Amino acid sequence: MDKPRPKQIFSAQVNGQWVELLIAPQETLLEVLRDHLELTGSKEGCGEGVCGACTVLVDNQPRRACLTLALEAQGLPVLTVEGLAQGGELSREQRSFIAHGAIQCGYCAPGMLMATRDLLSRQPTPGEEAIRRQISGHVCRCTGYAKIVEAVAALGQASPGEDRP
Amino acid sequence: MSPQLRYVGQRLPRVDSEAKARGAALFAGDIRLPRMLHAKVLRSPHAHARILSVDYSEALKVPGVRAVVSGQDSAAVKWGVFRYTRDQVLLPVERVRFLGEEVAAIAAESLTAAEEALALIKVQYQPLPVMLNVWEAMAEGAPLLHDDHPHNINVHVAINVGDVEQGFRESHLVREDTFSAPEDSYFMTEPYAVVANPLADGSLELWMPNAAPHQKAKALANALKLPLGKVIVRKCAIGGAFGGRSDVFPAEFIAALLAIKAQRPVRLVYSREENSLATRKGHGMFTMIKTGVDQEGRVLARDITCYMDGGAYSSTGPIATSVPFLCMEQCYKLPNVRFNGYRVYTNKPIGGMYRVHGRAFASGVDLQLDLLAEELGLDPLEVRLKNARQAGETTPTGSLVQSCGLTECITKSALAAGWRAKYGKLPPWRGIGLGTNSVQTGFPMGIRGGSSAMVKFNEDGQATVISGVVDNGQGNDHMLVQIAAEVLGLELGDIQLISADTQATPNDPGSYSMISTLAGGGAVKAACQDALAQLLAVAAPALQAPPQDLEAQGGQIMVANDPDRALPVAKAVRLALAQGKPIMGRGSFFPRVDNKREWLSNPFGQLSETFSFGACVAEVEVDPTTGRVRILNLVLSQDCGRALNPLIVEGQFEGGAAMGGVGGMLAEEFQWTKEGRCLNPSFLEYKVPLACDMPAMANIIVESMDQSGPFGAKEAGMSVAMSAAQAIAGAVANAIGRPVFEYPLTPARVLRAIQEKLAGLPAKGPQG
Repeated sequence: MDKPRPKQIFSAQVNGQWVELLIAPQETLLEVLRDHLELTGSKEGCGEGVCGACTVLVDNQPRRACLTLALEAQGLPVLTVEGLAQGGELSREQRSFIAHGAIQCGYCAPGMLMATRDLLSRQPTPGEEAIRRQISGHVCRCTGYAKIVEAVAALGQASPGEDRP
Repeated sequence: MSPQLRYVGQRLPRVDSEAKARGAALFAGDIRLPRMLHAKVLRSPHAHARILSVDYSEALKVPGVRAVVSGQDSAAVKWGVFRYTRDQVLLPVERVRFLGEEVAAIAAESLTAAEEALALIKVQYQPLPVMLNVWEAMAEGAPLLHDDHPHNINVHVAINVGDVEQGFRESHLVREDTFSAPEDSYFMTEPYAVVANPLADGSLELWMPNAAPHQKAKALANALKLPLGKVIVRKCAIGGAFGGRSDVFPAEFIAALLAIKAQRPVRLVYSREENSLATRKGHGMFTMIKTGVDQEGRVLARDITCYMDGGAYSSTGPIATSVPFLCMEQCYKLPNVRFNGYRVYTNKPIGGMYRVHGRAFASGVDLQLDLLAEELGLDPLEVRLKNARQAGETTPTGSLVQSCGLTECITKSALAAGWRAKYGKLPPWRGIGLGTNSVQTGFPMGIRGGSSAMVKFNEDGQATVISGVVDNGQGNDHMLVQIAAEVLGLELGDIQLISADTQATPNDPGSYSMISTLAGGGAVKAACQDALAQLLAVAAPALQAPPQDLEAQGGQIMVANDPDRALPVAKAVRLALAQGKPIMGRGSFFPRVDNKREWLSNPFGQLSETFSFGACVAEVEVDPTTGRVRILNLVLSQDCGRALNPLIVEGQFEGGAAMGGVGGMLAEEFQWTKEGRCLNPSFLEYKVPLACDMPAMANIIVESMDQSGPFGAKEAGMSVAMSAAQAIAGAVANAIGRPVFEYPLTPARVLRAIQEKLAGLPAKGPQG
């Protein structure tokens, strides 16, 4: 086995809290979140950046945490699904997903919610086409996506189907 | 029962969804225990080989390695779902039969150490001839994968009802077609994971995604030679099943062995590729269908021979081989029918029950009906209606259908889709198709076929429900809580649920045979009614009214028609405690099925107490230059008995249409090298539908109010996964004016059909 590379200090603002950890430089952001910080909301569904279940926001940008080295997030704000609720209050994305039945098994939900936060921050009233484009980086095997689209659309008050051909 | 229902039929958010939205729900791979070790499995690089030796002495020297297991630790005990299908050694000793089969495993302080040690295990293999399809495996002189199965035929289901030959002679028109499809796969978003924890009293607790905690515990207790009560399968969140978590896998056996050997908790998390190849996959299938009809399109006889590529071991083979036929015989009137289903061993990963149960079966049956209708100059819609099952009829193999809304499903779907205005009248390259199907609610499972439940009242007036039903993601937890709240007159939040934990919960058949609402929900309903009766008996003297005049509502027990006379439930519970009569209800639901019915030896008798039915209409547009199919619209309908929660039922419809219809009929298939390596075990290459692939969907819930189901409910969603595939296959044939016999309908297959049509070649099915 290769000689292990020296560990490094990883420091970032995770869900509003500054954390400082000694990590191996090759550790992914997902490993650091799940294994070091015990934030297991972000999931590993494929490990190759396809399924989207590990999506978190790094400096307000959606990132596949399974393909992101933790050190790429050095010094930056990281938001995971655990950080969406504020003071125990669910965020509006979470409330809408629950109310619209957009969560079945729940494995894709953390990534879907982060994608929703990202979309709404750039486009407050996205149409259906924009919503589908945004969440098409995320695999859901349970819902057929209909209720997820409805949940996101309700947040932007755009009526479903508005910009669909 | 109060006729006014407060929860049944309401669109209610699920009780489990907040934890999932917060990222707080723990899936098996999220569980971390103190001193937990991490496991990795060494897998066969050969699709078929003799194991000559396994040497893990070097692996043991890697720092951090705490336990290694190989075939020597399995005692070569064979496991199987049925007594007669015990053909899988959970850690093989002398032979591997598919590429990726488990050979050895390591538990270490870190995943890195486990991986490093894995590379040091030396296994000597002697490669053997590889058989990768049913024809090679059944060929004369082919090596046998299991010595007691000639021609590598694992299962033969033979059913013959009426006089099929006479039926063909009486038919006005007879068609014979062959349909085929390679393996489809579950791709549940959560990869498989097991945590095993040896406890101080010698018992073992385990978490894993499962569809039947009690069946997992039973099989593991047998394999580990432990008393059943010492193998505890605990509840965790489960990231989808779709039939793929039903039976027992080497993963839990390995994790258990490692944990016992190391006397430490062990976590084994599968990669996406391992989940695809080392749990279960769908069956590849060839189906030869011969159907005879009279002049009006009534089916007089049908003869089906089906070959299913089962992979290396039996798994649920007898069930998987039967269900495609059973769904069909439930759905359509068939005076004379013959079925020969063969499940064949090959050197591929193990085939399991898959939600869609054979694209090349169900879609073949419906597409052939369309073709027959066309030849007779009839509307396929009319032909469906003429052959549709009705309530009160008996299936060819002897199941009474007590409730059936199939005709309503067909009629309403066709109306909503504008069938009459569109069929035969659409512009070129546009098509419309109709699929219909039926599914069971449970199978005869002997002593394990029923579900039981308990409910206890707590002194604050809330209740705790205890049920063995597991939630794979479909909403079973919510279903149980909603039924309990309805019966007990409490709020959803007043019900605590203990479920799917074999240490605490009574037996349940599992959630893989569409039985959970009927049996598990029925048991909870009965337990709650029992508890309520106890509660009312205690309250009656206090309210100076007979128990039958009392009802529970909003946490109060009140005299009917006199709401001023009321007693808080909490007070009644305390009264009961003071009298030494704590309120503890129990209930069970044992489906009325014929337990003499057996998959192979006696496939006759009542299969399920009740059946659900569905119909879908699809409208598609085909690009003639690329062969690409675009689905314009899906109308989904099902008779689910009664929609306890329409929000959940719709989610089952939409998800079923995505998996079975859009993915299953247009894109999903495993591909293999000639060495037996799967080319596309990952999300990158295996194409599941994404949000951008999904068409507009309309849901039509048909309620036949079943007499046995809780509040009339049966099963929701599975028939939609099947009938959506059937509808799309029919719509594509309608669009291009030619049937396509090989699925999924990828652009290449559709384009080939279009080109053959333009060249004037006859439409031909796959060649066996």
